[in-house]
Amino acid sequence: MKHTLTLDYDLAAGWLRPFVEGLAEGVARARRCDGCGRVSFVPLRVCDCGKAHGSWIDLPGTATVSRRTTGADGDFGLVTFAGADTKTVARLDGFGPGDRQGAIVRPPSALPAIILRPEPKVA
Amino acid sequence: MDKMVAVLGAALTTFNRRKDGSSFRDWAAEATDAAIAMAGLERAEIEMLVVASESDFFTLQLNPASVLANDLGLSGAAAFRVEGGGASGQLAVHAGVQAILSGTAARVLVVGVDPSASQLPAAAMKELYSYSFDFWHEGATGVSATALYALSVQGAMERLGLTDDDLAAVTIGNRDNARLNPNAHLPRQHTAEEIAASPMIASPYRRLHCSPLSDGAAALVLAAEASVPAARRSAARIRGIGAATDRVHLGARTAPDHFAAKTTAMGRACTMADVTPEQLEAAEVYDAYAGAQIQALEALGLSSDIVVDLRGDAFGRGGRCPVNLSGGLMGQGAPVGAIGVAQTATCALLVEGRYHDGLQPATPPALALADTHGGVCTTAAVTIVGQGAAA
Repeated sequence: MKHTLTLDYDLAAGWLRPFVEGLAEGVARARRCDGCGRVSFVPLRVCDCGKAHGSWIDLPGTATVSRRTTGADGDFGLVTFAGADTKTVARLDGFGPGDRQGAIVRPPSALPAIILRPEPKVA
Repeated sequence: MDKMVAVLGAALTTFNRRKDGSSFRDWAAEATDAAIAMAGLERAEIEMLVVASESDFFTLQLNPASVLANDLGLSGAAAFRVEGGGASGQLAVHAGVQAILSGTAARVLVVGVDPSASQLPAAAMKELYSYSFDFWHEGATGVSATALYALSVQGAMERLGLTDDDLAAVTIGNRDNARLNPNAHLPRQHTAEEIAASPMIASPYRRLHCSPLSDGAAALVLAAEASVPAARRSAARIRGIGAATDRVHLGARTAPDHFAAKTTAMGRACTMADVTPEQLEAAEVYDAYAGAQIQALEALGLSSDIVVDLRGDAFGRGGRCPVNLSGGLMGQGAPVGAIGVAQTATCALLVEGRYHDGLQPATPPALALADTHGGVCTTAAVTIVGQGAAA
C-alpha cells in the first residue's frame, strides 16, 4: 500500500547559529579556540585540546582542495579554508579538472551548504 | 576469560529486496523463531529484548521494540531499541552483553532488522543516509555517503599504494563468497573489467564497489554462563566487545583516511578478551564500500602488511584469516539494523562449525571478529567470538 509522509521542519541552529548565518551570507565563519588558538571550520564546539570556549571569526573565504571526488553523486572536495587548521567537505561548483582553489559562495537555499566556486586564475 | 556471554542461538533471514508482501515484522519473527529454536529455550525464559533499527523513517515505528516484543510473544520482557547508524546492530549486541555481564538479565534476545530496500525509493534512502553524517554540514551540503567514503579512501590508496585492482578484488572476493551463501542478496561472479565499466558514483567508487540496500533481519539469543543449557555447552562465547567514536567530520580528523575509532574499539575488545588481533582466524568486516574493507583490515590490526596480505589472499576463503565469508555487506547485503547482529551470528556459527557448506572452514576458527561501524567510521563497534566448551 502507498503512504506518503510529509514533514515541515522549522530547524533551530542552536550554538551553530553564527556559522549558519555566515554561510547564508557567503561567509566562512569559523571557531577559534580560546585556549590554544586552533581554528576549526566547520566549527568544533570543543577543541581537540579539550577547551569548550571559543570565539567566532570570519575567514577570508578562499579554500584549497586536497581531495576531490566526482561522479553521479556530484563534485565534492575535502578542502582547507585559508586561516583554518581543519579541513571540511565542500560542494565544488564549476570546477575544471585542474582547479584546486576556490572561494565560498552563498548557497541557493536556506540550508547551510558549503559551496565553492573556482577562483579566477591570476594571469 | 570470566567475562563471557554464550550465544545460544544465531539466525538470519535471507537478505534481499523483498517483493513478497512480507514486512520487517515478519523477518524479525522468522529470525527470532530460528534463534530461539537453536537455543533450546522457551520464549518465557527471555528476560530482555534489544532491537537494532537505524531509523524510524525505515520502519515507521517510533518504538519498534515494543511492537516487536508484542509480535514475538515477549510481553513482560524489558525491551528497548539501540541506534548508532550503521553500527546499530553491533551496539545492540553490546547492550545485550552488558545486560548479562551486569546481572540485569540472564537471557537476552537481540534482533536487528530494517526494511532498507523495498519500502522507500532509492533516492529517498540516499537522502536519509546523508543524515547519517552531520546534517548541519555534510547533509545540507548534499554530499552522499559514497562521496564521503570516496574522499576518505583516496588517502588510504595513496598511502598504501592501492590500485583499482585492489578495490575490484574486494568486490570479486566478497560476492564470490556470497555465491555459497543461500541468504545472500548479491551472489555474483564479477570480473575486474565489469567493475571498471560500471558507472562512476564518486571517484574512485563505481557502482560495483558499493554495497546494496537490502531488507532482512538477524537474531541472537545470549545467555549468562549460569543459564547455558547442558545441550548448548558448546555454544560460541562472546569474549570481548569494544566501541569507540571519532570526529564526525572527516576534515576534523588528524588522518581522514584512517579508521581510528576502529583501532580504539579493537584495542578495547582485545583487552577484554585477552587476545591479540593476530590470533583471529576469521572476520566479518564492515565493507560498505570495497575500499572500506581494506581500511578496516588495516585499522583492526589484522595485518602487519596489508598490501602483501591482500594480494597474497591471506583474507580469502583458504587464507589464514578469511574475511567476509558471508559475502559481507557487498555480497550478503545490508539491511542496516541487522548488519551487526548478522555479523556476530555468522561468527558464532563459524566457531561452532555450523556455517554454510563450502564456506565453513574445515577446522572451525577458534576466534572470530565481527566489525561494524556507522558514518565513515564515526562510530565503531567490534565483538570477538570464541569457542565454547568441547561438545
